[in-house]
Amino acid sequence: MTAPFFKYGAFGDETSLVIAFVIGIGFGFFLERAGFGSARKLVSQFYLNDLAVFKVMFTAIVTAMLGVTYLSWLGVLDLSLVYLTPTYIWPQIAGGLILGVGFVVGGYCPGTSVASMATGRLDGLAFVLGLPAGTLLFAELFPLIQRFYDSGGFGQRTLPDVFSLPYGVVVFAVVLMAIGGFYGASLLERRFGTER
Amino acid sequence: MMRWLSALTLNQKLALLALTLGVGALFISPTRGGAVSIEPDELAAMVQKEVDHVTADDLADWIIQGRADYRLIDLRDEKAYAEYHIPGAELVPVAQLPDAALARNEKIVLYSDGGIHSAQAWFLLKARGYKGAYILLGGLDTWRDTVVYPVLAENPAPDQAERNAKLSARAAHFGGAPRAASAVVASAPALGSTPAPGSTAASASAAAPGSTPAAPVPMPKVQAPGAPAAATAAPAARKKKEGC
Repeated sequence: MTAPFFKYGAFGDETSLVIAFVIGIGFGFFLERAGFGSARKLVSQFYLNDLAVFKVMFTAIVTAMLGVTYLSWLGVLDLSLVYLTPTYIWPQIAGGLILGVGFVVGGYCPGTSVASMATGRLDGLAFVLGLPAGTLLFAELFPLIQRFYDSGGFGQRTLPDVFSLPYGVVVFAVVLMAIGGFYGASLLERRFGTER
Repeated sequence: MMRWLSALTLNQKLALLALTLGVGALFISPTRGGAVSIEPDELAAMVQKEVDHVTADDLADWIIQGRADYRLIDLRDEKAYAEYHIPGAELVPVAQLPDAALARNEKIVLYSDGGIHSAQAWFLLKARGYKGAYILLGGLDTWRDTVVYPVLAENPAPDQAERNAKLSARAAHFGGAPRAASAVVASAPALGSTPAPGSTAASASAAAPGSTPAAPVPMPKVQAPGAPAAATAAPAARKKKEGC
């Protein structure tokens, strides 16, 4: 069977929601096990004394990237059907900044807030209630910001396209970046860390 | 060797594994597209539900908003494309469609004069596993009649006046002008010789590429190379940036 399963019609809409639920539970479980249910742990990366978030996320990126590369090489995964979010450079930079500020101030990002709420933390619950409130605000303001929301469109871009590099070279470069990043993170933790 | 390996921490072993796989990635190339099959039931259901259509109104809004999450493909020949094309459209004659640089995860909107060529091209793409293929409903004929030269209601009621103003502004954006309903009645015989707007399955002009359609109004020269009108400058710039 060839992946992506949903695009190849291996199951329908209802089943896809059930599968998304199971994957979501698994995602939340591993976030919590990595210590990401605690706002203290999460924001300590911004004080450079615990870069676990950076390391876990970059590990996930490299693992997924290598998995996707080798699965598509083996012909098990059809990479050309994997959905890519189109690039809208300015609104995405603005969105990233808003999310980053919210992360520093609130102590969670959307996924970790749900994991935190599931462990009974009240700050996590407050954060989760903020999600629909923010969504509502965005929807109400949408007519005012729609021009900006649609600006800077570049279509579906990938790093191999942008840099005109072979796919494998970009994979290798990202692995090197990750290993360099992990080494740098361990140096920072040694310098600023409180416990280690 | 084994002693050296066992002296490493787990983290270092994992980093070594990632590095090895990364080096390996330099020598492999991911396959683009595996086995593809036609699902007649699935295709028939899509046709039935009309989920594969994009209306001229929607497309005009997308262009004005500068959306970049789709590719607009002009299936006609070079001559017709040079005379007029929808802003942002890329020329891919039907014969070259199988070799076109289209990715199968993209949203692809197809158009021709009427609906036949785009419907055939849609089937071609669907059969090759392009999940995001769409047809511009009614093709260029409907685009011309609803976007470039929209028909305005005469003696408009207040709610129609607002719509008239919006249609006029949109027509001006695309280098056209609105028409009064009475003028359309006068040119009805000419319109009658072209297929009924909205029917995707009937287009004499698309079926016979050599013959020019009996257009009541010629298309504006909005895409004359070298001299883009102010209204079309933005979409043209966007397309240049897109180039993927």
